[in-house]
Amino acid sequence: MERVPIRSAGGLLRVASLSYLGVMIVLPLSALAWGAFADGLGPFVRRISDPFARHALFLTAVTALIMAVINAVTGTLTAWVLVRYEFPGKGLMNALIDLPFAVPTVVTGVMLVALYGPTSVLGAILGEYGLGVIYEKPGIVLALLFVGYPFVIRSVQPVLLEMDRMEEEAAATLGADGWTTFRRVTLPTLRPAIVTGTALAFSRALGEFGSVVMVAGNRPLETKTAPMYIFGEIESGNQRGAAAVSTILLAASLLILIGLNILQRRKGENRDG
Amino acid sequence: MAVTTFPTGRSETKRWGIASILAASAIVLTAVGGSGCGAPTRGAEVDRLTIGAYSVLREALREGILPAFARHRAAATGREVVFEESYNASGALTRSIVSGFDADVALLSIETDMDQLARAGRVASDWRATPHGGMITRSLVVIGVRPGNPLAIADWSDLAEPGVDVLYPDPKTSGGARWNLFAIWGAGLLGSDRADEAAAESLMRGVQRRVVNMDASGRQSLASFARGIGDAAVTYENELRLRERRLGSAIESVVPRRTLLIEGPAAIVETSVAKHGNRELADDFLRFLHGEEGQAILSEFGFRPLGAPLPEGVFTLRDLDGAAAIQRRVFGDDGIWNRMFTDRTEAR
Repeated sequence: MERVPIRSAGGLLRVASLSYLGVMIVLPLSALAWGAFADGLGPFVRRISDPFARHALFLTAVTALIMAVINAVTGTLTAWVLVRYEFPGKGLMNALIDLPFAVPTVVTGVMLVALYGPTSVLGAILGEYGLGVIYEKPGIVLALLFVGYPFVIRSVQPVLLEMDRMEEEAAATLGADGWTTFRRVTLPTLRPAIVTGTALAFSRALGEFGSVVMVAGNRPLETKTAPMYIFGEIESGNQRGAAAVSTILLAASLLILIGLNILQRRKGENRDG
Repeated sequence: MAVTTFPTGRSETKRWGIASILAASAIVLTAVGGSGCGAPTRGAEVDRLTIGAYSVLREALREGILPAFARHRAAATGREVVFEESYNASGALTRSIVSGFDADVALLSIETDMDQLARAGRVASDWRATPHGGMITRSLVVIGVRPGNPLAIADWSDLAEPGVDVLYPDPKTSGGARWNLFAIWGAGLLGSDRADEAAAESLMRGVQRRVVNMDASGRQSLASFARGIGDAAVTYENELRLRERRLGSAIESVVPRRTLLIEGPAAIVETSVAKHGNRELADDFLRFLHGEEGQAILSEFGFRPLGAPLPEGVFTLRDLDGAAAIQRRVFGDDGIWNRMFTDRTEAR
């Protein structure tokens, strides 16, 4: 007799959390997709194959990918250093890593312009060699590197912390050098975490606006990313075009997240089996 | 083996720390904001006027026009006027009035926006029936340059020269930026012998090729220029003069040989004054804006007074077949703005 209220409480909880998900996430996203497809598939295809939209999506994908690859490497190294070494200032370093989550992205953009812009010493030197950073494509990658910085580190760090070092020690006893041990023993363990962190950073970068808008230059077919394109189309009254490109970004992120879920589930099954 | 979780428990707590600080500051900010626009006393002696204006007018209205108009009303009627103000980009403001924002008076940056309000039945269709065609503010499209004009920039064609870094805002996000491009287009068109569109287009392309950064708004673009970016900034004379007044630091400027007169319209929103029953007040406000005192205040804030003579070579949108036509010609789907970029990449 006592189980009934418990079960109904559980049911209530489920309904509540599912409705919350529905209202907070599914509803707005469906509204967006609805806007994108409101007048059919043909117009949708035309909107995303518009040369400006296509270029913006392409630029966003490429810059996000470059950032993700760089962060996969540097993030893993940073997590490694944080877990395996003791040094003064480690606590501070650990705290600094989350800062890109807290800094308003516009501030990031302003900071980068001040640091690498044409009026800064560094920017002037780079400019002398024809290496424009700010208002050029490298500036976009730089901004994304900053906002995507914590993802891989925060994904790899706990795995490293909980990793059983006996396997590494066994490899060493069997005569493997440090690099071989890392490549054959440590890396396979870390790989799911690295992939997760990298994919999250990539998804995050697809939608990044605040910092990129400050550093990109915003020139159509040159340095205008998809979120900037979307902003421009909304402001100039082309809601449908904006919705179409947004849907593509959203679909890409969704696919990545679903892929990650499948990856993690498969990993779980392997462990059980 | 560890299950990959994101993020770690520890950083989660830290994140919560940050989140609670942000939440706390948000609450504080809301409180401050709330008290800032605190409800004025609702008494019988108070008249209310809701004003929707494009963002550039904020200072001129807040610090000049509104206090002066309140004094004028107090002297004339002995009643207090309480203003509710909303400042936004002209296009966004237009859309919000169409969809129900009940501003009594609309001050916009371009006449096509006012036409849109007229089509939506918000504004009388004869809103142009004033001595200056419904316009209230006047300015010129000019070129901001570095101190002493080291590159000797005198006209639009100088901006197309190699080695000149140009700034102007993105016409997709800034209604005002469209004036800049209409100015360049018009100068190219009227400067050629027989209204040659090819000449106008090639001037536009030439300048766009020198653009380094397109900020979202005219003010942001000018801020970039003030920070030292670029050699020339295409901007509006009133924005430069307002900047000088506010910050005390002048940016030198050049009036090109041919340039465009920027005209901003104002009109009563019929549906709003009918709802609020304050037509007389709104009428009086428009009269005040058109009148000598209103124009003198606007001129203090950088605009050119309605009656004052203009430099030679200044043209208006009417010289370019009107606002709607040039809007389509330059920014329509097959307009010059889009073609300028697509042709260029195909040529590469």
